[in-house]
Amino acid sequence: MGVEKLLFVTQFEELWFDALQSLMELKKAGLNHVVFMHVIDRDKVAMRRGRGYLKDEEVKFKETANVRFIDWAETLFEQGMEVGAHILVGKLVPKVVSAAQEEGVDLIVTGYHKRGKIEELYAGSETIELLQRTSIPVLVHKYILPSGKVNERLFERPLLAADWYPASERAMEFLIGLSGIVQKVEVIHVVSEKSLKGSSAMAVQKTRKESRRKLDEICAAFHDEGIEAEAHLYVGNAAEQINRAARERGASMIVAGTTGKGHLREKWLGSVPKELAKQSEFPVLLVPAHVEPAGS
Amino acid sequence: MGKRVLVVDDDPDIVTFVVTVLEENGYTSLIAKNGEAGMSKAIEERPDMIILDILMPKESGIKMYRGLKDDESLKKIPVIVLSGIARRTFLRSQEALTGPGNQSAPEPEAYLEKPVEPEELAEMIRKFI
Repeated sequence: MGVEKLLFVTQFEELWFDALQSLMELKKAGLNHVVFMHVIDRDKVAMRRGRGYLKDEEVKFKETANVRFIDWAETLFEQGMEVGAHILVGKLVPKVVSAAQEEGVDLIVTGYHKRGKIEELYAGSETIELLQRTSIPVLVHKYILPSGKVNERLFERPLLAADWYPASERAMEFLIGLSGIVQKVEVIHVVSEKSLKGSSAMAVQKTRKESRRKLDEICAAFHDEGIEAEAHLYVGNAAEQINRAARERGASMIVAGTTGKGHLREKWLGSVPKELAKQSEFPVLLVPAHVEPAGS
Repeated sequence: MGKRVLVVDDDPDIVTFVVTVLEENGYTSLIAKNGEAGMSKAIEERPDMIILDILMPKESGIKMYRGLKDDESLKKIPVIVLSGIARRTFLRSQEALTGPGNQSAPEPEAYLEKPVEPEELAEMIRKFI
């Protein structure tokens, strides 16, 4: 698993050219094709009473995106990169899912797209909906460091939040596929306080030992591929502890597995990635479990 | 039947414009909406000319152009590039695709930056077929 082709989704509010540039180190891991995508919300150009379909507005939005993409594409073409673009009218998530499938990308890069407060309460953000609807890894990109500088070494020191589910294993494989650029992986597992409550000292130590053994196995897999890795066990609220660990360990991004389609492991695989995508100040790479195509 | 021109562009408005120019000047148009489909169509139909956009989904005009020029049976088809991407970028990207020991691709017959007037396009087509 490497990244040869990525879909860069921008609404020109959250991700700009410097965000794209921060991904160019993926060239060392095989990246050779970038596809830009901008989706104009249908509501912005929809029928209005007495005015009909706002064709002029649609043309204006499309051409604005086109001007920006042409400028970006020229820079990448000159670097020998293959570049494509989709500028479409419709709903963001279905269009992204469809373009990602059509293009056969290895990674979707997006910002965190919010909805209105009430809609978000019921349906979650568009980013969360995207995570629920694709089996392609999604990078929720936050590329500006607290210092105000662009993070140019995004993949150098990822923190892998490991549980023991298949999606987590796929996240590990994804990072191994980036062995040309990943220097060190901080591998952490978070044990909830609740799961330790009422346990005897012996039981707690048993949990610690077992978790540690699994973490060491993951680290060994990285070492086998020439990637340095260090195991850490944290206790507490998962999303909070993952963030804390990322800060403490100087991580460049957070990587975690998600449910993927059709799975219902809501507690760890559902709520934690949601919180990370929404709240974390770090870029968050979320890797769904592999889903076999129907009939295979 | 008039000479056949393959139009490779993902923008339906541009396709309509180019097809109108072609038909008004007695040419037959073939259409593909990206470089991948364009290459298949070129192999299948052997058009007399190709009018090629650059920035498209699936496969760019830069890659398709390279494929045309690397194919003995297609390399002589005249190509007019019609794109918003600057000519300088096109030439540099072709250089970037030229590996050590490989021949560089020749320049296209014409390079027109969008937008273009119908007369200018028609004149350019007549010049090469």
